[in-house]
Amino acid sequence: MKKTIRFVLNGYEVTAEVAAHKMLLEVLREGFQLTGAKEGCGQGECGACTVLVDGLSVNSCLYPILEVEGRSVTTVEGLLGEGNRLHPIQEAMVENGGIQCGFCTPGIVMSAKALLDEIPLPDEARIRRGIGGHLCRCTGYVQIVESIRRAAEKMAAQGERDS
Amino acid sequence: MYDTRFVGGSVPRPDAPDKAAGKALYIHDLIRPGMLYGKIKFSDHAHARIIHIDTSRAERLAGVRAVVTGYNTPEIRIGFIKDNFALKKGKVRQYRDEVAAVAAVDPDVAQEAVDLIRVEYEELPGVFDPEEAMAEGAPLVHETDPRGRPKVDNMVPVPWKFEAGDLESAKRSAAFIAEGRYETPLIQQSCMGTAGCIAEFDLQNNLIIHTKTQIPFLAQNDFNQALAAMGLRGKRTRVIVPTLGGSFGTGLDTHGYEYIAILLAYKSGRPVKIVLTREEEFTALSPRQPTRTHIIQGCDAAGRLAFREVRMLLDNGAYTSWGATTPSVMMLPISSLYRVPNVFYEAKIVYTNNTYCQAMRGYGNPQAAWALECNIDQLAETAGIDPYEFRQRNANVPDEITPMGLQITTCGLDRCLDTVAEKLDWKRKRGKGGARGVGMASLFHVGGSGRVYRSDGTGVIMKLDDFGCVSVLAGGVEMGQGFISALSLTAAEALGVTPDRVSVLTGDTATCPWDVGTHASRGAFTAGNAAIMAARKAREQIFQLASEHFMPRVHANLKRRRKRDPDFELPDFNYERLCDPSEFELRENVVFLKEEPENPMLRVPLEEILRAAHYKEQGTMIVTEAFYDPCNQMLDARTCRGNMSATYIFGTQGAEVEVDTETGRVRILKFVAAHDVGRVINQQTIKGQIYGGVVQGLGYALCEEYKSREGRNLNPNFLDYKILSAPDLDFPIEIECIETHDLEGPFGAKGVGEPGLVATAPAVANAVYDAVGVRITDLPITPEKVLAALKRKKERP
Amino acid sequence: MKGFDYFQPGRLEEAYGLMETLGAEAGYIAGGTDILVRMKQKIIAPPALISLRRIEELARMGRDRGLLLGSMTPLRALEKSEEIAASYPCLSQAVGSLANPQIRNVATVGGNLCNAAPSADCAPPLMVLGATLTIGGPGGERTLPVEDFFEGPGRTVLRREEILTGIAIPERVPGTGSAFLKLGRVSQDIAVINAAALVIMEGGVCRTCRLAVGAVAPTPLRLRGVERLVEGRRPDPELLAEVERGVRGEVNPITDVRSTEEYRREVSGVLLRRALEQAVRDVR
Repeated sequence: MKKTIRFVLNGYEVTAEVAAHKMLLEVLREGFQLTGAKEGCGQGECGACTVLVDGLSVNSCLYPILEVEGRSVTTVEGLLGEGNRLHPIQEAMVENGGIQCGFCTPGIVMSAKALLDEIPLPDEARIRRGIGGHLCRCTGYVQIVESIRRAAEKMAAQGERDS
Repeated sequence: MYDTRFVGGSVPRPDAPDKAAGKALYIHDLIRPGMLYGKIKFSDHAHARIIHIDTSRAERLAGVRAVVTGYNTPEIRIGFIKDNFALKKGKVRQYRDEVAAVAAVDPDVAQEAVDLIRVEYEELPGVFDPEEAMAEGAPLVHETDPRGRPKVDNMVPVPWKFEAGDLESAKRSAAFIAEGRYETPLIQQSCMGTAGCIAEFDLQNNLIIHTKTQIPFLAQNDFNQALAAMGLRGKRTRVIVPTLGGSFGTGLDTHGYEYIAILLAYKSGRPVKIVLTREEEFTALSPRQPTRTHIIQGCDAAGRLAFREVRMLLDNGAYTSWGATTPSVMMLPISSLYRVPNVFYEAKIVYTNNTYCQAMRGYGNPQAAWALECNIDQLAETAGIDPYEFRQRNANVPDEITPMGLQITTCGLDRCLDTVAEKLDWKRKRGKGGARGVGMASLFHVGGSGRVYRSDGTGVIMKLDDFGCVSVLAGGVEMGQGFISALSLTAAEALGVTPDRVSVLTGDTATCPWDVGTHASRGAFTAGNAAIMAARKAREQIFQLASEHFMPRVHANLKRRRKRDPDFELPDFNYERLCDPSEFELRENVVFLKEEPENPMLRVPLEEILRAAHYKEQGTMIVTEAFYDPCNQMLDARTCRGNMSATYIFGTQGAEVEVDTETGRVRILKFVAAHDVGRVINQQTIKGQIYGGVVQGLGYALCEEYKSREGRNLNPNFLDYKILSAPDLDFPIEIECIETHDLEGPFGAKGVGEPGLVATAPAVANAVYDAVGVRITDLPITPEKVLAALKRKKERP
Repeated sequence: MKGFDYFQPGRLEEAYGLMETLGAEAGYIAGGTDILVRMKQKIIAPPALISLRRIEELARMGRDRGLLLGSMTPLRALEKSEEIAASYPCLSQAVGSLANPQIRNVATVGGNLCNAAPSADCAPPLMVLGATLTIGGPGGERTLPVEDFFEGPGRTVLRREEILTGIAIPERVPGTGSAFLKLGRVSQDIAVINAAALVIMEGGVCRTCRLAVGAVAPTPLRLRGVERLVEGRRPDPELLAEVERGVRGEVNPITDVRSTEEYRREVSGVLLRRALEQAVRDVR
């Protein structure tokens, strides 16, 4: 069963002809060649495939593609600004050693974004819970948590200056 | 001690921005034109005779381009004693045995085709316990050895035995003796990026393979042998390593799926990609070697270690990979952690119908440390000495030569012990009861590479361009550990340029110089030393060029300046002067005269010198190379003696825990890790290595276990194979890098990749014992075991 | 994963109709975080899925002498609800402990019940809260107490075409306290044991007590025997010890890859006792 769907992808309206049994992750990676979201387990345990759907973090490996009809999807590629400007969360991950092999990074960045969009200055425990749906085998999470904390502070300060 | 500008700082990794942006390309992300997708049919039995394989329906399925079995392809033997085969014929010996494979136009078709393959088996009795496998009459996993000679038992022909001193007399005269039996389970490396490859042939039938490996050059050799077996002798292999989603030892051997992709690519004439699913990663890759250890240690009345006797049994699984050589590394702490004159160590390795084992971070050392460091606490208790004090009394010292012939250079073990004791508030917290306790454990590991092959070498090529930028081509592999970061800082420091001028290129056997592999915590150590050697040559050449071009460039620059500023007066230099190369220094991309380092007029950017050398008649360029092979020794096969590493690393880790005596749950309140790292190259990445190691070690301590029933894995997913996640880490982890400035290391650094997890589990177990008085002897320390032990203690205090 | 068709009805009747037409092997899908995993693991292979996500009436949260939850209410909405946190802390705690943010953003309370995992985290709190389920089908609606919903691991009373449409939780009465506790192997885990307790206290005496426990029997379990022990008494150490022993007598756990029978039996008593203590402390 094939269907044509329309949705917003990283700010642009897109259409795609998809097989009904495909998951969002497969369509992003194979159909749109957006390979930032990774398949780490395919079963919603590792979080490497995390993207935002209408601003909420979801495991795209368990998100039936037909459910994105009419919704807005943001992937890690959607965070990059003009001139390859990293999002403050990505920047903080780079600056504070939050990245080692990097396979889990795009997913964690998306969860961190969802978290900070909701709670601008989370405490450490809240950050840990916020990325509780991610597995990372390299870092022990310490510098990831630190990166998100610093990003939050920087973004909050930036927000104050802007307002 | 070296005066450094960049080494020792805390800077972001060069590979981080791409990874943050999701632009780094892992094997999963790579596509080759015309690429097919390969899928493997694994065995349905742990031990069975293959009667017939029917691939006809798979072959007829639309979209299938190639189907291979052991019966329609040449035999490719794999593994270091060649007891394994890319595709199995005759019989299967474990569930992960590859019996057939297909290549198809998309992954769904490949999967469907694999499901259509029918294999008829005659089931054979299996053997799953290493002790049972040694019993008389046990089913034989292999009826013949790799040379075809009949086998009479299940012993793997890789025995390990080390003896030093006089064990028996030491045993007789020891004042205190402690004995223990310890076990470690199979655990899985759990790389976030699963394994995979893309194999393809060019029109000369040379192989190009993108693959997840830590040993591109040894893999090249393995694959060349496979080509020879396929009738393509003399053809070449090019191995290209994509960005790796972690590796942790998985990439130290070549794997069945790689050879199968090669066979499928050859048969179909198209690139073939095989990427393992998470379930396949669990069931078809080789996990960490499980062990059973019987240990006895003794000391004199003053608490000085007198002897150590260790007997180990290792479950090899059905085939032999590097898991069978882990005793060579276990032997290091067993012979040399603390000063112990009389040592006996023996490891037996047995074939079973379980999954075969391979390397994982620490390479046997965590298993050895588990038994050793738990038993040290037992011995200290028997002797009535505080375990911290006991360790301090027996700590290794600089310039010691150990019974195995290991030549310790620098040694910061005493400082590691003190740091952990201080940070844990040991004196106040030890032995206080209330279900809270503190414990510690130490480690000893190679820190200056490890000569496990005849060569322990690594190559670096330094290529300077006329923009003053440097390409550093290295044979080592970045797998997340920070190799590129460490090497770029080391190379920049050694050459005299800023790190932003350095690009490190790795992972291509066609362009990068040879390296034996990124293992044994050797990447930064060996490549760093090679980079220093190559930089020295480059500097000589730069200064040689400067002798000719420096003053003319100074003149040209000053003349340009006068053009802009007519008031500027040309100084009275001898612009035709040929300088002596020894007069120059290069720092932060600028060549200057040593005599007048502050004179702004006598400074020429490196790129101007290099450009001048290119753009002239009979010009030249600068490309230098170095091959660093450390001053260390291969173990003597018979005596197991030899100075395996150029330097050794020490560390102590400590935990404060609280045990819920009603549920058996162990809660970590604080964790401390003090490591002798020689010298920090990059604060940020070294801490990342140790944090990551500690958390892997805590998983080994508390929850990780690859569970099997009769050879079949029961938890091939992260739902039931539990690794820790961020909410579990709700306690401080404090890291202290002890700098001992080792003369062997690049700018004093030692290797640090593996040790972070070596001492973690025994530190936790020792803390649990301090808290509630029960000693868990088999990992992981689950609530079930703790509760049962508490109950037993209550019943029989 | 095998191919399948995917339907997205906008109304309940449409969904029932589709199920009738598609036949026995089709299945309903809510958030999908469980069924899709089982499909990927090749445990099941339905040729068609009927998604309930577009049926708006299933996703409503409302009030009617208590709380009404549409079965398709995402766990995230429960987690965020201040009313649930204030009036039904055991449910709030259970949802907060269930999986992780990405899962809670799509998984639904109804889905958690319909999977009928013995370890379903929403089940024990809903049991002790006295929740009633509404089930819709082509023939009309029926209601039943949540504890009558489960028949065994993965089995419920739902007939093929039926859909769990709503969950009604009675209004909190003053003097009520509740709590949920869970043990997993790590912090983000399926429960090795989970437990919920609710008490209504009057002058230091427990007038009403409801206790439920999960992952220690083929279905989430209401512990009526133990409840009877508690009612009419003060929660003193003696009673709490009786509770612990009583629980161990009522549960029927197994050994699996996650834990052992002995452990679950032993510790379910501890966990229930602690949940009861916490519920008593929660009384307002």
